[in-house]
Amino acid sequence: MLLAWLLFVAPLAAAGSATSDPRPPWMAEVPGVKPSVNEASSTGQTQVQSSGRLLQGEYVYRAAGCYGCHTDEKNHGKPLAGGHALATPFGTFYSPNITPDAQTGIGRWSEQDFMRALRMGVNPTGDNYYPSFPYPSYTKLTDDDLRALWSYLKSQPPVQQANRQHDLKWFARARSFVGSWKGLYFTPGTYQPDAAKSASWNRGAYLAEAAAHCGECHTPRGALGGIQSGMHYAGTREGPDNSVVPNITPDKKTGIGRWRARELAEYLETGTKPDGDSAGDLMAEVIDNGLRYLRKDDLAAVAEYVLSLPPVGHSVRKAGKKSVKKDEFE
Amino acid sequence: MKHARIRPSILLVSACLIAGTAFAAEPEDIIKYRQDVMKSQGAHMAAAAAIIQGKVDYKGQLGDHVKALQATSKNVASLFPKDSDFGDTKASDAVWKNNTEFQKYAMDVRAKADALAKAVAANDTRNYGARLKELSDSCKGCHKDFRKEEK
Repeated sequence: MLLAWLLFVAPLAAAGSATSDPRPPWMAEVPGVKPSVNEASSTGQTQVQSSGRLLQGEYVYRAAGCYGCHTDEKNHGKPLAGGHALATPFGTFYSPNITPDAQTGIGRWSEQDFMRALRMGVNPTGDNYYPSFPYPSYTKLTDDDLRALWSYLKSQPPVQQANRQHDLKWFARARSFVGSWKGLYFTPGTYQPDAAKSASWNRGAYLAEAAAHCGECHTPRGALGGIQSGMHYAGTREGPDNSVVPNITPDKKTGIGRWRARELAEYLETGTKPDGDSAGDLMAEVIDNGLRYLRKDDLAAVAEYVLSLPPVGHSVRKAGKKSVKKDEFE
Repeated sequence: MKHARIRPSILLVSACLIAGTAFAAEPEDIIKYRQDVMKSQGAHMAAAAAIIQGKVDYKGQLGDHVKALQATSKNVASLFPKDSDFGDTKASDAVWKNNTEFQKYAMDVRAKADALAKAVAANDTRNYGARLKELSDSCKGCHKDFRKEEK
């Protein structure tokens, strides 16, 4: 028990007291991969690189969940070569190839192209990206983290695989639609820490809002696909791939208000919920390919932040039983 | 004479009808049963984890929880018969479409639950955590591909 307490609390205390660091405290201290509890190598991922820059980049890459969307795991696609389908009310998006392949990937991009893509949501030729690419979150990443991520992606093996075109509904096809969307809902700019809050809270907010982009799925969207204000993290019945995304505000009835911070941090690492159930579907993917690689103090910071949010009473559970055979609608 | 001929066939038909109603459970009841078994597994997982992680001091009961997990994990695939794919279930169509893959997961969870129960029976305390994690990863692996958080 004492050991558990030391492991859990000591890093937080250390992070909080590191005032001699010239960087803002919510930015990563020296980033690094976790101790070997999670056996990263067993998943067949590339071995950890020696350079600190690449380590930092890999950490951002895990936290931001790049692999999950840019790899078509279901069809045994190569890592980061794209083609992962994301069904939304606007149609089906297919993620692009972000390996350093010159023809089909981002091999010809400059670091500036990359920074602009994540910060401003435009491709190197100046066209807007659909916000299925969560740049409204990634815009909040620091320059330093973006550069590290760029170094890491460039160090990955190139894969030649042409991008598949999105299959969108008529009203979403015009890229000008995205321009108007951005005007309404997109605010570029790095995460601004809240001076009234603790260093760990700000670190958690940075990880949740900028990197892990929790709100992209967990916050309901309006008819135009904009995030609904006042409903931050309140869950939705219209999540990606027609999924129901739970309310993760600390509301006791409809959210996770009965979870303790320690339980939430543990869930983000292992996928085991306090009731013994395990994560499934998209969240299992997010944990398996990303969150489980984060340090315990970072996961504790995310838990601290999420459980500090205003509780919103919003039930996403289905209204009634469906007893019609699925095939009848197919 | 005629009567004597008809009677056995009537008996046979009615016997089939009775047998049919007795064995063809309602899909809704199968789904409910499946969910009850799964929920009990979750509860035993949480209880075993609390003991193994030292959150509570019920070491004497750990064996009960892992034996329950071992018993209920013997044949998870049998909880997913054909025609139990509609109604109030999160089971993905993939359970039936990629059934071979699904069966592999079902065998995996059985192996992992066995391993945990064996470790506890052998009082191999050092490996409790690792065996528990392997079992919960097995649950997560299957839920990832075969449970849909659907409307």
